This record gives sequence, structure tokens and C-alpha cells, in this order.
Amino acid sequence: MKELPNFSSFDDQTRPDCAVIALHGVTREYVGHAGAVRALSDATFSIVAGEWVAITGPSGSGKSTLVNLIGCLDRPTSGQLKIDNVDVASMSATELDRFRADKIGFIFQQFHLIPYLSALENVMLAQYFHSMTDEGEARAALEKVGLGKRAEHLPSELSGGEQQRVCIARALINNPPILLADEPTGNLDAANQEIVAGLLKDLHGQGHTIVMVTHDPEMAGLAQRRIALSHGKVFCHPVGGSPVVTLRR
Amino acid sequence: MFFRLLMESFRRQRRRKLLAGIAILLGTTAVTAMLALATTIGDRIHKELAVYGANIVVYPKTDLLDVKIGGVDVKPATGGSYLKESDLAKLRTIFWGNNITGISPELPVQVDATAPSGETLHANGLGLWFDHALTEDAHAQRMGAPALHPWWKLQGIWPHDSDAVVGAGLAAKWKLRIGDRLPVTLSTANGVTSGDARSFALRVSGIVSTGDKTEEQILLPLAMAQTISGLPGAVWRVEVSARTKPEDAFARKDPETLSPKDHDRWYCSPYANSIAFQIREAIPGAQAEQVRRVEQSEGTVLQRISGLMWLVSAAALLAAGFAVSAAMATAILERRGEIGLMRSLGASRSAIALLFYAETGLLAVFAGVVGYLLGSGLAAWLGARIFAGDGGAAEAVLNPVLLPVVVALALAVSIAGSTPSIRSALRMDPSAILRADA
Repeated sequence: MKELPNFSSFDDQTRPDCAVIALHGVTREYVGHAGAVRALSDATFSIVAGEWVAITGPSGSGKSTLVNLIGCLDRPTSGQLKIDNVDVASMSATELDRFRADKIGFIFQQFHLIPYLSALENVMLAQYFHSMTDEGEARAALEKVGLGKRAEHLPSELSGGEQQRVCIARALINNPPILLADEPTGNLDAANQEIVAGLLKDLHGQGHTIVMVTHDPEMAGLAQRRIALSHGKVFCHPVGGSPVVTLRR
Repeated sequence: MFFRLLMESFRRQRRRKLLAGIAILLGTTAVTAMLALATTIGDRIHKELAVYGANIVVYPKTDLLDVKIGGVDVKPATGGSYLKESDLAKLRTIFWGNNITGISPELPVQVDATAPSGETLHANGLGLWFDHALTEDAHAQRMGAPALHPWWKLQGIWPHDSDAVVGAGLAAKWKLRIGDRLPVTLSTANGVTSGDARSFALRVSGIVSTGDKTEEQILLPLAMAQTISGLPGAVWRVEVSARTKPEDAFARKDPETLSPKDHDRWYCSPYANSIAFQIREAIPGAQAEQVRRVEQSEGTVLQRISGLMWLVSAAALLAAGFAVSAAMATAILERRGEIGLMRSLGASRSAIALLFYAETGLLAVFAGVVGYLLGSGLAAWLGARIFAGDGGAAEAVLNPVLLPVVVALALAVSIAGSTPSIRSALRMDPSAILRADA
């Protein structure tokens, strides 16, 4: 049995005892024709419950790898990754699917709504793969993001901002402890960006843990902490602290 | 939600589903037609080949022994031993009794007749059944020589009581016509002494062309031949037509050398050999032999046609499998974004596999049922075309037993065809799909 990490020894820890996401020496390598490529190297940090963290970094810095690992879509090559105090590295594929449905709510840059299902059905889809559908709850989730009256509309009948709000409602429907937002405003105009940012603020205010990948300094500024990535290495920013590395797009 | 996703996939991918469905439909239509024909082809080919006569002949066992004195065979034509006519009903009581479709006993007699000129003529007579019920049952099958020799061409009618049919050759030689009366004297050759000799008149009810030595004979009702020969209830030879399974190496085995299990299997297979064996068991003193030429022709034709049918069916199913595979591969490629999203929402691999298998399964069941109906129709049409002469042209070929078989085959083909694509879909990295889709 692996020894649990000593969180107090982490460089950047904020209340490690409350960590909902904890990485210790996490490395992810991909083996290709040209040999092994290290996409993420020895990442060690934690995110506590209710925290809003922005992950930033240029293309190829390892953001996607990190998001995949935190989103339980991938497993580390080495190191320990704990989500809600459960080591996901040792889980089987089926357990990981179940765990992902329970713990993670995804918000995508491209929304990824199923085009032939209405807004309501898109929200209910997440319920279906989690447990069972409940139309009332799905409607309430849409009401919460201000789309109660647009529930029966198809994604093609909604604006970009509205589609992202459906995506947020879908991410929230199963009450996951972690919201994983990948460039949530990357595809929105300024007005819709503001609406979505407001929604994320509200969700954070309600105690949701938000891990957000963004290139947008304004959006990153809304987070309590920034985790910067460069060449697969993690540079963490404590709350209110100044950045160790400044990354510019 | 599951049914919503299922129905939407049919609604949105109509053309792709239609193509896959048509491929399965064509495959199952071919298979149904082939299976429907294969299940009836044995009977139909037997009917077709029945025109070549019996496939089993039964003799009295002692008739096979030669009786030679000084190197000269002195055994009479009949061999001097006979079967009992009353034993023939036992042919229908053997294990494969229902496969016996024709029985024609024979009793040769010597007929001495007086020509209109007063000249005494000698001819061979043959006692036969013409339209005989084997049992008292009103629905009993009618048996006799005409049914077993459908190539015989008759002018007039088959004989009753004291009538006779004369072979065309003999009729020409004796200048006989239908309706003539032929005075006949009981021949001493039949063991009747001159003191007992009696004569009576036979009425010619018909003239028959047979294409063989029977053209020179007088065909009489068996009972009359027995009276003429003074052998009541006697039969010399019996021709039997039976539906049989094509002969194979196992059929040619000697049942006496087989293990009890193999013996049972041999006995319970409708080989001509095993039917002959059962006839020997059922009729004491009888020797039953397979008429190999007819039997082998039937077996060879049946084997070749069956082989061809299976080949066509397998090819049709294989083609259907490839078509389903191609359609599913394209469908999955189109829906990879959906699959990635479902995986990110926590859908297990089995849940996604179930969705795709349900799609292909539903398609297979629908196409299988329609293919079964079309195939049954095709089998009826083909049957009517190929076997137009057997009187079964309008025969219905809707065989309900085939429905589950065909649907199961359709399911197996579609599942086998779609499995590689579904497996590759399940191996896709959801994060890569979602990013590529972005």
C-alpha cells in the first residue's frame, strides 16, 4: 500500500487537510514513435474544497494533460492523484467512469451539446449516464442559469452564451464536488463572457470548487489562485501571492 | 433517454441505416429462400427422380440362391420362393415407414391365350397392383405400379377384376385393341395340370407403352395373377420408392460392425441402406436391396444443390456483415464527438456499446423479419420455377421455424459486422475526441 503524501511538505499548500484535488509527484508520459514524451512532470499541488483555481499556460505546456488527469479521463504514469480523497491512479476503467460521473462536472469551450436533443434533454443526458433522469431537476438547473424558458429549444436555436449556460447546467445537474471548466469563455463575445463569468462567480459563492483552464487574464483574475504551466512543469500561486512565473499569450 | 437516443440515431442517419438494413435484408432474403428450399428440396428432388423408378427392391431371400444341376441353372424364373402379399402392410410400420412413398409388388405368370385365328399364343404376364390401398383406412395412400412408373404411357384405363392391360409390342403383334376379349387358358407352366385346366376371357382395358420388356407382357391385377398361377397371396418381387438421405461413408457401414451408439444413429438415419435393413427386419424371409443408380443420382444431386445453396447463403451473409461493418464505421466516425461527450459525462464503455448494439440489433431484427417474408416468397417462386413438374408450384413456403433462425442469423451478422467499429469507438480517448471536435 502506498504511503499517503505528507501534504504539509508541499510547497504551495493551502489547507491540505481540506484538499479535494491532490497531486503528488504526478508525471504523465506518452510513448510515441519518437520515444517517450513527458507531457507533465512531477506535478505537486492541491486544491481545497470551494477553491477557484485558474490553470494557465501556453499551448503545449501540459494544460490538457492536467485537465484530463483531474477530469479522470486519463491516469498518471507515476505519482499519486487523489480526487476527493480517493486515489484514482489505482482505479479500473469502469470505476473511473463511475467516479467521473459522480465527481466531475465538465464545462467545455465548444459546449459539446448534442445537436438533436433540446436544452432540457442535454441536461438530462448527464443524469441518464449518472443515475436516472428527472425532468423537474433538469428544468430547475436550467432555471438556475436563466434558461427556464428556453428548455425545449435545440442548441442551434440558442446563442453561444445560452449554449454555454446549458453546458453549465449539465455540469451542475449531478451535484459534482468539482467543476472543470476548459476555456469556458473562449468562444463567447464580451456580453456572454460576462454572463458566464457571473455564473461562475455565483457558483463559487455557493461553495463549488472550480478548476478553470483559461488563456484570458481577466477570467484568470477572477480565480483565487493561478496554477501556471510551462513545458510540463507546474508553478503555483498562493492566494493573493504574486506570480512566480508570468506567462503571456 | 435510451430510446430517445436510439430513435434519433435512426432518424438522423436514415441513409446509412437504410443501406445497412438493405444489406441485411438481402442477406436474410437469400438465406431464407435457401433454407426454405433446402428443407423441401429432398422431397422435391425425390419426386423429380421418382420418374426413374424405385430405389429399393425386395426379393424372397431364398430366391437369391442358385440352383444348378450339372452346371445348368434349373431354378424357375421366380426362383420358386415368394413373399406374402399380406406382409407388405408391414412396410409402413418400420421406423422410416412414412418415408415410403410407393410400393409395387409383382408376380410373373405364364399366359396361354388363343388368338382370334384359333392359334395358341404364349406370353409373359405380370401381376401388379394398379391402385391399391395398403390398409383399410379410407385415407390410406394408393399404391401400385403406375405411381412408381410415371413414364408409362397408357391408352385406355388400368385394369380391374378380369381386365388386363397389354404391352404395346404385344398388342401390335397380336393385333389387339382396347375392348377386345382374349381367351386365356391356365398354363401348365404355372404348375396347373391339364386336368385342372380352365379358360376364361380377359378384356383388354388398355394398351401401355413402357419402353422396356414390359411392352411384350400382359399386365394383370395381382389377384388374378395369383389365381392364374395358383399361388394365392404370393408376391415374387416388390419395388419400393422411399425418401432417403444422400448416401455417405457412414451409410455404407455394415450395421453389424457398429457400436451400439453408432448403430442407433445409422438405424435412425433415412439412408436407403438402413430402410432396406428395416424392411428385412419387418418381413421375414425378405431380402431388400438398394437400387444404387437412382439412389446415388438422388444423393449426388441433393448434395450438390445443398452445397451450392449453403455457399450462396454464406456469401450473402458475409456481404451483409461487411456492409454493416462499413455503415457502422462511418456512423461512429460521424458520432465520435457524441461518444467523447458521453464518456466525459461518465458513460461507461458498456453503456455506449449497448447503445450501438441496440441500434444494429433493432435494424437486424427489422431487416431479418422483412428478409424472412421476402425470402419465403422468393423460395415459393424459385420452387415453382425449378420444380415446375412436381405439382408443388403453388406450395406455400412460409415456415415459421425459419423465422427465429433467420432473425438470429441477422443479429449474429450485424453484431459481428459492427463489433470492430464499436470496439474502436470504445478505445477512443474521450479528451482527444472532444479537443479534435473543438
